[in-house]
Amino acid sequence: MRKEYREYHFDRMVQSIIHFASLSYDGTHKEGFGMFRYAPRFRDAIQTILMTGEPGVLLLKMIDTYLIEILTAHENGKKVALCTFNFSPGVLKPLDVVPICLEPVTTLGVAMWLRGLGEYLNYCCEVGFTETSCSAQRGALGAYLAGLGVRPDFVLCNSIGVCDTNATAFNFAAEYLELPFYQLNAPPTLVDERARTYHRHDFRGLISFVEEQTGKNLDCDLLREVIVETDKQDEIMCEIEDLMRLTPSPVPGIFNLFMYSAKYIYGGSRVATEIMESMLKVSKHNAAQGRAGTTSGKEEARAFSVYVDHYSAQLRPWAWFDEKNISHLGCMMNGFWPVHAPYATGDLKEGTYTMDPTNEETMLDSLADQMSRMPMVKQIRGPYDDPHQWLTDTVASIKTYKPTFCLYTGTIGCRNTWGSIKILARDTEKMGIPTLILFGDAFDHRITSWESMRDRIDEFLTVRRILE
Amino acid sequence: MIVAGCDVGSLTSKALLLNDRKVLSCAIQRSVSRPEDSARRVMDQALAEASLSCDDISYVITTGYGRACIPFANDEISEITCHSRGALWLMPGIRMIIDIGGQDCKAIKLDQNGRIIKFTTNDKCAAGTGRFLEVMATVLGLSLEDLGELSSHSRNPLDLAAACTVWAQTEVIHHLNNGRPIEDIAAAVNLAMAKRVAMIANSLGMEKSACISGGVAKNSGVVAYLEKQLGVKLKKPPRVDPQAVGALGAAVIAHERVQKSREIPRPAAAEESTVQGGIESS
Amino acid sequence: MLKGFQDIATSLSNRFVDQWKREGKQVVGFTCSYVPEEIISAAGLLPFRMRGIGATSTSIADTYFGPVICSFPKCILQLAGEGAYDFLDGVILTPGCDSIRRLDECWRKAVEDSRGTFPGFHVYYGVPHKVTQYSLEWFVEETKILLESIEEYFGITVASEDLRDAIRVFNRSRTLLKRLEELRSREHVPITGADATAVIISANAMPRDLYNRILEDLIDELDQSKDGIHGRKRLLLSGSANDDIDLVRLIESSGGMVVADTLCFGSRSYSDLAEEDGDPLLSIAKRYLSHTMCPRMFGYYKQRLAFMKERIQQANVQGVILQNIRFCDMHGSENSLFERDLEAMGIPCLRIEREYGPLVEEGRIKMRIDAFMEGLNAG
Repeated sequence: MRKEYREYHFDRMVQSIIHFASLSYDGTHKEGFGMFRYAPRFRDAIQTILMTGEPGVLLLKMIDTYLIEILTAHENGKKVALCTFNFSPGVLKPLDVVPICLEPVTTLGVAMWLRGLGEYLNYCCEVGFTETSCSAQRGALGAYLAGLGVRPDFVLCNSIGVCDTNATAFNFAAEYLELPFYQLNAPPTLVDERARTYHRHDFRGLISFVEEQTGKNLDCDLLREVIVETDKQDEIMCEIEDLMRLTPSPVPGIFNLFMYSAKYIYGGSRVATEIMESMLKVSKHNAAQGRAGTTSGKEEARAFSVYVDHYSAQLRPWAWFDEKNISHLGCMMNGFWPVHAPYATGDLKEGTYTMDPTNEETMLDSLADQMSRMPMVKQIRGPYDDPHQWLTDTVASIKTYKPTFCLYTGTIGCRNTWGSIKILARDTEKMGIPTLILFGDAFDHRITSWESMRDRIDEFLTVRRILE
Repeated sequence: MIVAGCDVGSLTSKALLLNDRKVLSCAIQRSVSRPEDSARRVMDQALAEASLSCDDISYVITTGYGRACIPFANDEISEITCHSRGALWLMPGIRMIIDIGGQDCKAIKLDQNGRIIKFTTNDKCAAGTGRFLEVMATVLGLSLEDLGELSSHSRNPLDLAAACTVWAQTEVIHHLNNGRPIEDIAAAVNLAMAKRVAMIANSLGMEKSACISGGVAKNSGVVAYLEKQLGVKLKKPPRVDPQAVGALGAAVIAHERVQKSREIPRPAAAEESTVQGGIESS
Repeated sequence: MLKGFQDIATSLSNRFVDQWKREGKQVVGFTCSYVPEEIISAAGLLPFRMRGIGATSTSIADTYFGPVICSFPKCILQLAGEGAYDFLDGVILTPGCDSIRRLDECWRKAVEDSRGTFPGFHVYYGVPHKVTQYSLEWFVEETKILLESIEEYFGITVASEDLRDAIRVFNRSRTLLKRLEELRSREHVPITGADATAVIISANAMPRDLYNRILEDLIDELDQSKDGIHGRKRLLLSGSANDDIDLVRLIESSGGMVVADTLCFGSRSYSDLAEEDGDPLLSIAKRYLSHTMCPRMFGYYKQRLAFMKERIQQANVQGVILQNIRFCDMHGSENSLFERDLEAMGIPCLRIEREYGPLVEEGRIKMRIDAFMEGLNAG
């Protein structure tokens, strides 16, 4: 890692960018947007977020609050956990722990910084990662391994049995930084009693582990608040998702990113619910006017990403979709499977979770069920065409949202989806949905630049006559 | 006493003749398909330049990818060892050697006595090797030298997706089509290369006293960026071509071998046969 | 005797498998060392650990797998697609790692398009990634389901006594292989690393009782042999799956001698015994879940390091080769932790990334091993 990079703390830098960006909207519109002339490096990403109005501002303020919480956790007597993104953070609140959600923090870095996180990605390799490891962890983790961020107190991983390269990164971090480590493990099945019991045991093991680390007990009143709030925000999220079924979709494409960001960072907290409410308001307003969620109000195509979105280009993919009047209908990262979900119909209901506030046991079971259905944890734990797995969920999303085409982008670390995407794409094509597999890396623009990827998508849309 | 070192690489072959501490000649040629032919040709050139014949050579050590199948070699030694010996001979006290050859890039770390502590090489991919630059230079329609020189004129190096040579090529073409200044693209190529090499070197823990060898050392653009990435001034091998450091190291070891064998009296016949077995005239 | 083992190790199928099939008996393939062979064997079936040896390209495999997948399952799929695995009557796939587990769907889809077959009997056998009371209970259940599905498909009833017999036979193998390991630890090593690898690999490719008999003779022979190899640097080979004796030969051609390993095709396959008393299913599940671990079991690095140190001490190892197949992040990343910790103890390590078996880039690997050996010899 270059010397200059060692001068500043990564999380502090990201926080100050977000902080000032979130303030920019507090003045007049002219003042806010006028300022971007002086921030050419961050302009694209921040403008794309702020163009959405209130939801974007709330999102930036939420991220700012979150990063401050991490930065001040130790001062405030709280422990910090290094977590996977698909680790519903609600449970940590009643345990008085602040999570560093690693992949979302990487996303902030790659989305905000013009030149991406190459130095940190490389740093992981310098200390021993394989170059083929997933970039989603390596990005921010490079900074944490180099001591350029808040030092976590322990590591919590919810990807074991789901994604080896992810689990390897967390396991490595625990060994390298000499931190205690707890893993949640997903068996290959989901809805049978055996799997349910496994998850619930596993989840209680997590609670005991964290209690041991913090010396504090789970606060049941706070737990109840989280349960109630989770249900409420899920309901709103699902209402937005329900609106996405309309043609044109009145939901701005980037709202999907906002939804899962809010869930990953503040699932179960009021602040995430507020963003959902704001997004619902905008979407309903569009729907009432028969407008699409795009800036022009028109919809010429509908896109669904079967895996992740592409983050490493300052959010330009969303801006580009918008410019092309393509409604972006989300990706696997939106697949949380609460009981209210519009895609959870018929037998698929079995794969959902409910929030039951009756007593401590029901609440813990609810969270265990939720945790075992987080994006990726649910879909890629077993053979891709087993019930409740990647294919079922993709088909459910396609039937619900009726995209006119599908995209796959991943990371070069993703053995799991790269291991079956060619087959999955064959299936979606058979359903009549043109599907494009893009070779690139969602968090590392050095693999393929967004410009090249964009050209490929553009060509695909033309050749397959999706955009006339 | 004249000895030779011959480094048969995947892209170029190098031969160097040494008489005590004096370099008599040094030849560099493009490798051909059979390593033994490459070795013979490059040795012939080195001999011709020094006006010597095979019989004048006491001992030959080969190194490089093709080293194992060279009939005239007395012994073969890995290029890691040879590069470190060559670099040490030229630059005593050196602690880190970065060598970027045609198809691999290596970093070697030495202790204060010049012994190898650790080394590493790039993965099997061509990104981060001389091959990468060659491919990029071809796409840009530049010579390798110009690629290095041009980048110093760049005011705004572009970003290049360069984790993979194949994909990087597409990127370069993309930038060309968009009419980006060629010096900015050249700079991007060199910078991308430097970043990958820096990662390899950093994985060993960088040392202050470091040098760069191999063909890519001639690309001033890469070297400048690499120095910036590593935060260290990189020495360039004095007196010999940076591509010939491995061959030099092989010759230095050959020299030592012969000297050692002379210190211990041996039956004359055995000594003789080694010398005779050295090089056959073609 | 060694020649026989070498033949088995260097080809996919072998005369013992052919003989078995001629007798009208059936073969069940499996992909990972976490599959309990005792279960298959107790049902009168031949357990056969699947390998990619003999694949010369990955053209079929690349049609199904994406570009960033380990070449080991790719080679297996290639062979399957070419029909080389048509002798299998069943297959048990596991989430051993993400690359190998995708063999399940890729294989199924490949047979729709090419001439290879997908065995009628196939099970996706879910092995947990942690060792706890509840994961063991889950695994016992999973193993019971496996047994029942074998019974049902092949029309066989497996009695507890059959399982106990199988446990004894496999424990006998493990004990013998442990004995072989001790012989390799001697100062005068009676068998090269390449040959020892061939012997160990053969265990998963022929009837086990027959294997035990031959192995017993070999061990007696080696035990009495006076002229072992000595004076060469003693190496331990660790990392990703390796069933390629040529890789070991390549290493040994640089002057070293592989005297120990921590590989799943090596010492991990025989490291722990199953309890012979009590409920046989429980005993089998216990052994397989908690036996010396692959990095797929996350959070157990220290145990693996301890296991490696034990091997190093026992066999007087002077250098460790830590290899990983490209795209194997689990072994690749853990190898650097091993390197850090072993070198701190003064044991030199070499980390290499390679392709699997037939695709291994000899020149590149050889160069690094040579340099490593030169360093070891100088030091």
